[in-house]
Amino acid sequence: MVKEDENNQAPETSSNGLLVVKNLTKRFGTNVVLDNVSLTIEKGKTTIVIGPSGCGKTVLIKHLLVLLRPNSGEVYFKNRRIDNLGENELNRLRTHYGFLFQGGALFDSLSVFENIIFPIKQHCEITSWGQVEELVKAKLAMVGLDGFQNYYPAQLSGGQRKRVALARAIALSPEVILYDEPTTGLDPVRGDVISELIMKLQRELGVTTVVVTHDMTSAYKIADRIIMLHNGKIIADGDAEHIRNYPHPVVQQFINGQVSEDDLAVLRMSGTISQAQFLPRDFEQ
Amino acid sequence: MIEMVGAKAIGSVDNVGRFARFVWQSMTASLKSLGRRQTYPLIWTQMLVIGVRSVPVVMITGAFVGMILGVQAYDQLRGMGLEERLGVLINISVVKELGPVLAAVMLAGRVGGALTAELGTMNVTEQIDAVRSMGTNPVLYLVAPRFLACLLLTPFLIIYADLMGILGGFFVSVIVKGINSQPYWSFSAAGVELWDVSIGIIKGFFFGGAIAVISCYKGFTCKEGAHGVGQACTEAFVASFISILALDFALAVIFKAIYNTFWSLKGLV
Ligand SMILES: Nc1ncnc2c1ncn2[C@@H]1O[C@H](COP(=O)(O)OP(=O)(O)OP(=O)(O)O)[C@@H](O)[C@H]1O
Ligand SMILES: [Mg+2]
Repeated sequence: MVKEDENNQAPETSSNGLLVVKNLTKRFGTNVVLDNVSLTIEKGKTTIVIGPSGCGKTVLIKHLLVLLRPNSGEVYFKNRRIDNLGENELNRLRTHYGFLFQGGALFDSLSVFENIIFPIKQHCEITSWGQVEELVKAKLAMVGLDGFQNYYPAQLSGGQRKRVALARAIALSPEVILYDEPTTGLDPVRGDVISELIMKLQRELGVTTVVVTHDMTSAYKIADRIIMLHNGKIIADGDAEHIRNYPHPVVQQFINGQVSEDDLAVLRMSGTISQAQFLPRDFEQ
Repeated sequence: MIEMVGAKAIGSVDNVGRFARFVWQSMTASLKSLGRRQTYPLIWTQMLVIGVRSVPVVMITGAFVGMILGVQAYDQLRGMGLEERLGVLINISVVKELGPVLAAVMLAGRVGGALTAELGTMNVTEQIDAVRSMGTNPVLYLVAPRFLACLLLTPFLIIYADLMGILGGFFVSVIVKGINSQPYWSFSAAGVELWDVSIGIIKGFFFGGAIAVISCYKGFTCKEGAHGVGQACTEAFVASFISILALDFALAVIFKAIYNTFWSLKGLV
């Protein structure tokens, strides 16, 4: 599973790959975000995607359920090519997925309760409301928000919204869960609880998990495998130990949170802060 | 330069194609949602928001149209000694053209603006992607109920506008200007045919459908940010207004042809 070479882009063909990305390239205008990326995500495992802000992590996992379509390359789910399917067929497939958006993407005209039952209402025949209420209660309890059923997203804090969105993503008990920065914006304790929840879902239900994160504590804790994206390519791929000892300077700087000499030079070059600042006018006069 | 013109041309052909696809999807999704019990509550909600809450503004619009026509036309007709025909003039204008068109314009502003802003905000905050990510077709969930509500309720709103226009005209002509109410109504009844009233109402389906589809499309294709949403709303209103007028023109031509071939035969039978 551990790949040595950073240029190794050969499409993996292992048959236990639940999700396979082959030679995926994605451009927005002239901005090449993903450059010939290949990746196999194994069933029942937790894969972590790390990388600097803006390197295309969100774009990559959006391709896994074809919310974005590649410019070239292929995406497979259960050995079936999905990137060229029509929206109707994709919608059927997407019921196997849970997707946590980076910004939560809660429906702001619906209450927390209605948000969580949205996927249930869309895809299941609801026979007993008591059962549904129990389920919502259980899912909210998992993210520590039981009792917030009747709140609207605007009444919640950023971290609370994120957790409601997480509860919504797991409402249908999906086979694959894609989390876009699940612990960002949470306090360290709550972040750890969410990491535990992700592990629990993976352990107990055998959920295939992909997590985009900047939170290395959480990453080391839950990862079966970590991949690092940089400049549109995968530059490192392996288990936590492998990444920790990976000699590539960009990887080491990233996981240790160190700024590079080049970045520091830019800061030094920009002069002292007071020179560069525009002071607000005094409106009192 | 030529490249730019070419790119613009390709861009607009592209847009027309995408819009046509969206219209097609909205219509098929609406038909499909009529067969799905889950969508009925959504349709009811939209009917309340779009239809019921628009009744007051549409009635006010209608009443003013009737009253203004009364005030403007009275002097001219009196000069010719034809003031008792005022009723025909007012009522036929209200029922056939001004009631439907002005009610639709009012709706384009009130309903269309709200639809574009709502869907546009949902688009830029990834809520539409969220609908997709949970395996639901956003056109089915978001557009179909709004489209159906607009389509079904605009004709009713036009009936309200017509009624108020007729009352407004009556108020100015008979009560304020003192025209004899007996000839006022009998000339109106003779001059306004069922045909005239019906085409005014049938226009409502087209106007309502156009407002809904255009506004939803603008919301779905809205650009990022507060500015993007605002711009989408403006564009939606302008596009709806122009299509209301264009549809009105096209329907006038079509209905005239139909009238000439069929309705006139009725007298012979
Ligand atoms: N819809 C879009 N249109 C144009 N460019 C886009 C779009 N979405 C993403 N991009 C570009 O793709 C690049 C990667 O974006 P992405 O959101 O994947 O970053 P990220 O790795 O998730 O960053 P972060 O950690 O800050 O969330 C960015 O440079 C961005 O400008
Ligand atoms: Mg991101």
